[in-house]
Amino acid sequence: MDFMFLVFAAVTLLGGLVMAFHQSIVHSAFGLVAALFGVAGLYWTLGADFLGGLQVLLYVGGVTVLLLFAVMLSTRDSTRMNLSRYVLVAPIVGIVGLFVFNAYQGVSEIVNSLGSELTEPEPTSARIGELFLSPDHYLVPFEVVAILLLLVLIGAVTVARRGQTLSEESTS
Amino acid sequence: MMNPFVLLTAIVAQAAEPAAEVAADAGLVAETLTPVATGLAGSLSSYLVVSGILFVLGVATILTRRNALYILMGTELILNAANINFVAFARFGSFSIDGQMMALVVVMLAAAEAAVALAIVLRIFHDFGSIDITRTDSLRD
Repeated sequence: MDFMFLVFAAVTLLGGLVMAFHQSIVHSAFGLVAALFGVAGLYWTLGADFLGGLQVLLYVGGVTVLLLFAVMLSTRDSTRMNLSRYVLVAPIVGIVGLFVFNAYQGVSEIVNSLGSELTEPEPTSARIGELFLSPDHYLVPFEVVAILLLLVLIGAVTVARRGQTLSEESTS
Repeated sequence: MMNPFVLLTAIVAQAAEPAAEVAADAGLVAETLTPVATGLAGSLSSYLVVSGILFVLGVATILTRRNALYILMGTELILNAANINFVAFARFGSFSIDGQMMALVVVMLAAAEAAVALAIVLRIFHDFGSIDITRTDSLRD
């Protein structure tokens, strides 16, 4: 468990570093793949098996393919970061990071003082299904997300298609 | 690339060290009773450190790049950092599985967001011939 945590944390952070600092956008996209897969592994070490599987399916399989598709279609212009902007931004990022770590420290002390004992991880799929489909718990968010996904499906197709039809009208 | 890796591992190990010492001080009795909660993977702060570093990397990506696709990738990184927090607090706090439900909804919304945002990026590229966010500064004429 400990060893797996180290492996997945290293994969996550290395992927994040490559994504943030590599010059080539394709390398960055693959760094993002590594980071997302590492996050899925962290879910597994936390006992969230279903969530980790969903992360691999949706992010590593879906979002990244979309991203690479967009990269393929639309990177004629420069992808490099300008160092002057980086120097300007570094203190901001440092301050944000300090705040984040301080907040984490405080909150984790509170949670540790609650003193709940760790239990052996159990399979979560059945429980998640029950919670999502029971009206007392998460049925409403579930249906809202379903409607939203339908809207997104139609909306994305409409937005991406409108450019084509407009250009065809203007050329013809 | 090897140097930051070693550094980060050292940071993670250092951050989790007090928790490990506390777990060792708690004695052999507790250890035999609960064999799950030991080491790095058994402490909340190690997950929080990873999530914090991921969050800061995402913010740095968003602030330093001018390409719209990089900004989308930074957003995904930040969302994942938040998700690690949800799941970690659900595991180590006394909240049962609710954190995982939140994280599930966030993953679904992030997928939807990525689909719409990439469609918009394609459209911007079609209209402007570039996805540099400093050059897309005019409304439709």
